[in-house]
Amino acid sequence: MTARTQKVIIVPCSGIGKPYGTVSREAAYEVTDDLRPEQTQLVPLALLVLGEEESRSIVAECPAVTIDGCKLACATKMVQQSGGTIAQEIAVLDVYRRHKDLKPVGIAELNEGGQKLAHVLAEEVTAVVDGLLTSKQGGENA
Amino acid sequence: MTDFLETMVDKFTFKVATDRFYTAEGVWAKEKDGRVRVGLSDFVQQRSGDVAFAQIKPAGTVLAAGEEVAVIETIKVTIGFASPVNGKIVEVNPAMNDAPEGINLDPYGAGWLAAMEVADLEAERARLLDPQAYFNVMKGQAEEEAKKL
Repeated sequence: MTARTQKVIIVPCSGIGKPYGTVSREAAYEVTDDLRPEQTQLVPLALLVLGEEESRSIVAECPAVTIDGCKLACATKMVQQSGGTIAQEIAVLDVYRRHKDLKPVGIAELNEGGQKLAHVLAEEVTAVVDGLLTSKQGGENA
Repeated sequence: MTDFLETMVDKFTFKVATDRFYTAEGVWAKEKDGRVRVGLSDFVQQRSGDVAFAQIKPAGTVLAAGEEVAVIETIKVTIGFASPVNGKIVEVNPAMNDAPEGINLDPYGAGWLAAMEVADLEAERARLLDPQAYFNVMKGQAEEEAKKL
């Protein structure tokens, strides 16, 4: 088994100019850069839309966690269209509904609430990643 | 079975249910079991975006037509909506607490906001737009929105 197949792919919303899209990307960066850099890899949605071969290949091989900024669910749909397996779909709005005090405002730079919401979301994604890797290890050891 | 008037503006399709009356702002009123249910039109929910929270005035609140009956927070805006009728709120849709996305998913059905008691239903109807009249207003509003895209 290669190191590549051990990773969980994170695909966030690409909504530019929308606070919920920014929250999804900030959370994805936190997971892939800080919280679980060895276990995860971010795949930009734009590369899937363009059909970039390497990105499509990675998504087809590894479980993906998608983070959608709105009900159009572009991240989830593009992973599905790319032949990927979605381990978990997460909607920013659902997380916000559980944390009403963290209203995201701002686009290029999120307000404090948006930053905190992104952090909460990152922790939820990390928990999903850990669960996937734990179950995978359990399967390999069985 | 509810029938709809339907139009496509740009790439968006908007429906107007024909079994109720409307304000020009897209709040509908429909008689059901002696009460008037109120909710938001399909155009309003699409224009407003995904609903995060819906705050509706509690049961027992007496409202004049035009007074605020609900505030909706979406991913785009926080917006208040005026009651289409004079009356007293007798029930708030309990689903709005946990699943306000019903406004987006089923604006003319499960996404209703509140039920109200009104004194003179005929008089209330007379002040509101019938489905065809609202359809025409809504289409104009949608075309104006499309110009901004």
